[in-house]
Amino acid sequence: MIHGGGRRLRILARLAEGGDGATNHLCMVCAEVTGMTGAGIMLMSGDVHRGSVCTSSKVSDLIEQLQYSLGEGPCVDAYDCDRPVLEPDLVDASQRQWPAFAGPAIDAGVQAVFAFPLRVGAVRLGALNLHRDRVGPLTDEQHADALVMADVAAQAILVLQGGAPPGHLAAELEASADFQFEVHQAAGMVAAQLETSVAQALIRLRGHAFGHDRTLRDLAHDVVARKLRFEGPADENGP
Amino acid sequence: MARETMLARTLVELADTLVADFDVVEALTLLTDRCVDVLDVGAAGLMLADADGELRVMASSSEAMRVLELFEVQNREGPCLDCFHTGQPVVNQDLADTTARWPRFSTEALAAGFQSVHALPMRLRGSVIGALNLFHVELGPMRPADVDAAQALADVATIAVLQHRAWREAQLLNEQLTNALNSRVVIEQAKGMVAEREGLAVDEAFNRLRNHARNHNLRLVDLARSIIDGGLPAEPLDPNPASGAT
Repeated sequence: MIHGGGRRLRILARLAEGGDGATNHLCMVCAEVTGMTGAGIMLMSGDVHRGSVCTSSKVSDLIEQLQYSLGEGPCVDAYDCDRPVLEPDLVDASQRQWPAFAGPAIDAGVQAVFAFPLRVGAVRLGALNLHRDRVGPLTDEQHADALVMADVAAQAILVLQGGAPPGHLAAELEASADFQFEVHQAAGMVAAQLETSVAQALIRLRGHAFGHDRTLRDLAHDVVARKLRFEGPADENGP
Repeated sequence: MARETMLARTLVELADTLVADFDVVEALTLLTDRCVDVLDVGAAGLMLADADGELRVMASSSEAMRVLELFEVQNREGPCLDCFHTGQPVVNQDLADTTARWPRFSTEALAAGFQSVHALPMRLRGSVIGALNLFHVELGPMRPADVDAAQALADVATIAVLQHRAWREAQLLNEQLTNALNSRVVIEQAKGMVAEREGLAVDEAFNRLRNHARNHNLRLVDLARSIIDGGLPAEPLDPNPASGAT
């Protein structure tokens, strides 16, 4: 974790300019500093995928939603393997990995993805995702900047949480995040509808989302808005 | 093994602790043992300041050393204390000449068979976190090369200790984050469950949960968890705030 002082200082200075302390600024700076089309931060806590800390654009948001729904993608791999995952050509990569993630991402204009683990010492927090709308690898400079950004972001997340009252999520973390609370509300509703556990309800929701090519978030929104109910055992066409 | 090789190996082993989780006391004890071999001293010991700024004995290469270090701390007198408070090395102090400076400590250390003492600060930039004690059984000054080597060992140990503290704090903060998220998830799930069961909007379900928790002196997260785990409580949730406990 020893970095060239100049690079780190430059990045910290850029973070300090503007922004209201909330984390969406963090994601914007991540994208800007590395010269990428967009950035998103995936949060893992207690080994559970929690959602995103921030995203810098709609496409970054889609990338995070796809990974949350499908459980596969560059951030997921970067976290699981604890190393950067670099795919300068997503179309080429889609032949080899992320069968469900790659298609929708490419359709949305994503041509390259680069994910870096977020870590403070032995504490693993998730991953930073950078994407670009054209094919091509990161330059050495961009790669070095991304490593520092990931380090800074990891520390920032913990520092923000440190300021929260005990037992509560830090307001600054919650403000720009999508921790998928509607998905959990939907799981509670479906558990009541099916008279089953929330864990089972979540499995049903995931299965339905996958089978109907929807993100969990969109499906959960419909469930909470009472546009969709779940009844009885799962079958091919119904919920 | 050649002295220089052992010094180099010790530095590498200490630096290695920077990339993995490690036991602080174990690493510092290793350091003091190696000091004796590498620096040709009779005994070595290490003290760190605690959160209140009080020095605590962390490691000693022998029991006699440990006893003397404790003596320094208890009597607030000795080379380690001077070194810690000034942040400067205390070098080549002949115990026969230090009776004015450290009256009680000098007597004890001489009685234990030591003749001269040194202490090197454990510091990083402005921060002094402790001191490394080195005691000789022979008279005569410590060679400058040995003083330099000792300071290098103290410096790497300082970085390792500070790094370990930072990582421990990160671990604690991550646990807080995980607990906060877990509580939130359970509450959101309960909101959904209550909304479905009672035919309410999710926000109204949340109000019911909050009022019920308040009226029955329950933590919201505990009420939520009991609903998720076992269904609704026996009595329906209070629709109104402050309806008074039975």
